[in-house]
Amino acid sequence: MATLMSSRIVAPMPKLLDSEDLIRSLRPWRKQLFRQQMLHWLLRGVITGLVVACLVLLAARIFPWATAVYWAVGLGITSPLLALGAAIWYRPSFARTASVIDKRLALHDRMSTAWELREPSKGAQQSSALAELQRHDALEQLAKSKPATAFPLRLQRSTVLTLVCATLVLALLILLPNPMTAILKQQADLQARLTRQIASIEKKRRQIDAQSTIPAKEKQLIDQILSDLESQLNYESQNAKSEAEAQQDLADAQTKLDQLRNPQAVTRIQSQSTAGQSLQHSSDANLQAMGQALANNDTKSLAQVLQNLASQASKLSQAQRDQLGQELENAANQANLNPDLKSALRQLAQALTENNAKEIANASQSLQAAANQTAADRNSEATLAQASQSLQNAANNLAAPTDNPNGTSQGQQQNQGQQEPGQGQGKGQPQQGRGKGQGGQQGQRDPGQEEGRGQGQGQPKQGGNSGTNGQGKNEQVYVPGQINQGSGAQSTDNNSSAVQSGDQVSYSQVIAQYSQMAHDAIDNSSISPDDKDLVHDYFNSLEGR
Amino acid sequence: MANSGENGFPEVNPYAEEIVPLSGHNKTSEATLSSPNETEVDITKNTTGRALSHAANPQRGHGEPTQADITEFIEIAQKLEQELRAIVIGQDSIIRELLHALFAGGHVLLEGVPGLGKTLLVRTLSDALSLKFARIQFTPDLMPADIVGTTIVAEQVDPNGASPATRRVFSFQPGPIFANIVLADEINRATPKTQSALLEGMQEHTVSVGDRTRPLPQPFFVLATQNPLEMEGTYPLPEAQLDRFLLKIMVNFPKAEDLMRILDTTVGTQSLRASPVATGDQLLHLISVARAMPIATHVKEYAVRLLLATHPEQVHRYVRYGASPRGLQALIMTARVRALLSGRYNVSLEDIRAVAYPALRHRIVLNFDGLADGITPEQLIDTIIGELATEA
Repeated sequence: MATLMSSRIVAPMPKLLDSEDLIRSLRPWRKQLFRQQMLHWLLRGVITGLVVACLVLLAARIFPWATAVYWAVGLGITSPLLALGAAIWYRPSFARTASVIDKRLALHDRMSTAWELREPSKGAQQSSALAELQRHDALEQLAKSKPATAFPLRLQRSTVLTLVCATLVLALLILLPNPMTAILKQQADLQARLTRQIASIEKKRRQIDAQSTIPAKEKQLIDQILSDLESQLNYESQNAKSEAEAQQDLADAQTKLDQLRNPQAVTRIQSQSTAGQSLQHSSDANLQAMGQALANNDTKSLAQVLQNLASQASKLSQAQRDQLGQELENAANQANLNPDLKSALRQLAQALTENNAKEIANASQSLQAAANQTAADRNSEATLAQASQSLQNAANNLAAPTDNPNGTSQGQQQNQGQQEPGQGQGKGQPQQGRGKGQGGQQGQRDPGQEEGRGQGQGQPKQGGNSGTNGQGKNEQVYVPGQINQGSGAQSTDNNSSAVQSGDQVSYSQVIAQYSQMAHDAIDNSSISPDDKDLVHDYFNSLEGR
Repeated sequence: MANSGENGFPEVNPYAEEIVPLSGHNKTSEATLSSPNETEVDITKNTTGRALSHAANPQRGHGEPTQADITEFIEIAQKLEQELRAIVIGQDSIIRELLHALFAGGHVLLEGVPGLGKTLLVRTLSDALSLKFARIQFTPDLMPADIVGTTIVAEQVDPNGASPATRRVFSFQPGPIFANIVLADEINRATPKTQSALLEGMQEHTVSVGDRTRPLPQPFFVLATQNPLEMEGTYPLPEAQLDRFLLKIMVNFPKAEDLMRILDTTVGTQSLRASPVATGDQLLHLISVARAMPIATHVKEYAVRLLLATHPEQVHRYVRYGASPRGLQALIMTARVRALLSGRYNVSLEDIRAVAYPALRHRIVLNFDGLADGITPEQLIDTIIGELATEA
C-alpha cells in the first residue's frame, strides 16, 4: 500500500532560510546553465553557419554567383557570433534558472515557487511559515543534485553528427569543381570587354562633341544615341547580361545612327564627285583644277579656281569660252542628283559663253555655295559613319573571344583607318573554323582627305553588299549589291551574291557580271533617265570604259 | 416533544421556534422550550455557515499554520487513508481523490454502477471522522421536505411545571441534511426539484425553511452517488447542481485480485468498522492548513489557461459550455491538498493536471456533436492538457 507522503515532510527544520540563501544556492546553477546555454547556442550557430554556407555554395553551383564564397564565409562566421551574442543577451535569470531546474530535476515547481515567494511582499498573501517550509524543502531537494551533473557541458550525439555532416558537405562543395566558374569567367571577360568598349564609345562621343563641322542638332542626336548606348552597356555590364544583349544594343544604336544619315546627301556628294571627274578630263587647266577641287570637295581650291576662271574669262576667245561652257554643261549633266551644283555649273557655263562677268561672279558664288553644302553633307556623313564604325568596332571587339580571331583582327585593322575611304569590316563566326566573312565593306570618303580609294560606295539603305573573303582581307573591292538589301552599316552576305562566302574571287572576275546585272536592272526599272545615266556611268567607270 | 428520528436526530428538538398556547390564555412567547442536545450543539455552536470562510482565512480562524499543523495534517490523512483502504478494497485512487475533496472542504459526486462500494466508502469515512452521518436514498417520489425538514405542530408540556396545560407549538423537524456527512445515494434517481433541495446547503451551508434560515453543522460534506445516466429511471443533474460538487469521481469496477480480497473480507462472520482518527474540529483545522499552501503565479496562470481552454471558443467543436470559475477554485483547492499529501509545500503544474479530470469533467457540457461522436470530457481534458504542454 502506497503511503501518502514521504517522511521528510515531518522532519524538523534545521534552520530558517531567507531569500539570500535561495540566491546563494541558485547562483552556481545559474552559472552552469549560462555555460551550457553558451555552448548550445554556439554549436547551433556554427551548424547554422555551416548549413547556410553550404546553401550559398550550392546556389553558386546552380546560378553564377561571383561573390558566393565571400557570402559563405561571411555568413559562416556571422552566424556563430550572432548565436553567441544572443546567448549572452538572453542569459538566464534566477527565475528562469529556477524554472529550468524544476523541469530538469523534476522538482514539481519547488524552485519556481520558492523564488516567487522569496520576498516578504510576495509572500504576504501566504503563510510565512509555510513559505519558509517550502523554501527549505526546495533547497533541500536542490542540494541533492550538482549543477555540473544536471547541466553537463557535453555535446549531444545528434549535434555532433549534424556538425560533422555539415562540415563534410561544406568541404565537398569547396573541393569539387564548380561548373559555374567558367560562366563566371566568361561574364568577367565580357564585363571587361564591355568596359573597354564603353570607354571607346565615350571617347568617340567626345570626339564628335569636339567637332565643329557638323550641325549642333545632329551632334546632339548622335550624342544622345551614344550616351544611351553607354548607359545600356553599363547596365548590362553591372547586371551580368549576355553578350547577345550588348550586341543587340550596339546594333540598335548603329541602326539609329544610320537612320540619321541623309540619302540625298550621299547622292549630292556622289554627283559632285562625278561632275568633278568629268571636269578633270577637260583640256583647260582651270576646269581640271575645278574638277579636282569638286572631286576632292576642296572649297578653298575651288574658290581659287573660280577666281582664276573669272579673271581669265575675258581674255579667252569666244570659241574657247564656248568650249569651256560645253564642258561645264557636260559636268552639270553629270550632277543630276545635286540640283544646286547642276544649276550653278549651268549658270557658270552660260555666263562664260556670254562672257558676262557679273553672271560669272554670281555663278561662282552659287557653285561655291553648292560645294559648301556638299562639304557639310560630307562632314555629317563622315561623322555618322565614324560613329557607326566605332560601334561596329565595339561589336567586333566584344565578340572577339568567341569569334574567329583572324577575321576579327583583320576587320579591326581594316576599320581602324577611319580617315581612309573604303573601310572594310569583317566579322568571323566561331562556328566556322575559317571565319566566314560577314558584313559589307563600307566605304566612304572623308571630306578634306584624299579621294576615296575604295571604289565601292556603301550606300546607306541601299547596302553595298559585298562578300569578302573569309579572312576579312580588305581588297578595296566593291561590287554592286541588291537595292534595299542590307544596310550600309552592317550587312550580311547571302546567296544572292555570286561570291560564295569565304571564297576569294578577284575583282576582275566579278565586276563584269555585276556590271551587266546592274545595267540590266537599271534598264528594266522605272527610274528617271538621269538616274539611269548616273548608274550606267558609275559602272562604266568601274570597268574603265 | 422530543423526536427520535431514523437518522439519529436529537430527541429534544433544538429547532422548536414558535409557542402556540392551546387554551389561548397565556400569550407569552418563548424562544425555545426544549434543551438542545449537547453533542449537536457542539457541532453547530462554533461552526456556523461561515465556518468555511473562516477556514479560508487562517489568520482569522486558526492562525498561521505551523510545521506542527502540517505534521498533524499528514498524520491524520495517513491514518484516514489507511482506515479507508482497509475496508474499501480496490479503490485506492478513489479514496485518494475523496481525501482531496475532504481536505479541500468540497462535496463529491461519485459515479458508478451499483455495488461498487460507493455507499460503503462514504459510511466508512464518516466512521473514521467521528462525524454525524446521514444517508438519503433518492427515489423518484422523494420530496425536498424529506431532505431539508419541515415544520410540524407539536404538543409540549411546560418544562418548568408552572402550567399544567400542554401547549401546541410549531416545531421544525430537521431533515437528514442536518448532518456532517450526507450521503445522497443515487441522487439522479430523484426529480430535479428534489435534487435542487441540496443546492443551498451545498453552497451556503444553510437551509431555508419557511422564513427561517438555519445553519448546517460543520464540517458539512455532501457525498452523492449516482448511476450512469444511461441507466433506466435516472434524471440528469442540473448543471447548477453539478457545479456545486468539487469533484466528480468515477468509480471503476475492481480488478480480479481486488475482488478476491473483497470476498475474503466481506463474506464472513466479521464485519469491519473504521476507527475514528479525527474529529470535526480537527478536520476543519486541516482544511484551513491546506488552504494556506503556497501557490506560484505561473501555476495559477496555468490553471486559468486550462480552465479557459475548456470553453467553446477553444474546443468549440464538441463543447456546449465550459467550466465555470468554480472549476478554477476546485482546481486550486484540490491541487493544494494533493501537493500536501504528496509531501510538498507548493502546488505544481503536475498537481493541476492531475486534479483537472475530477475537477472539470462534470463542468464541461458537451454539445450534440460531442455526444454523437462519443466524446468524453476526459478526452477533451486530455487534449487541452496536451495542447497547453505544447504551448509551454
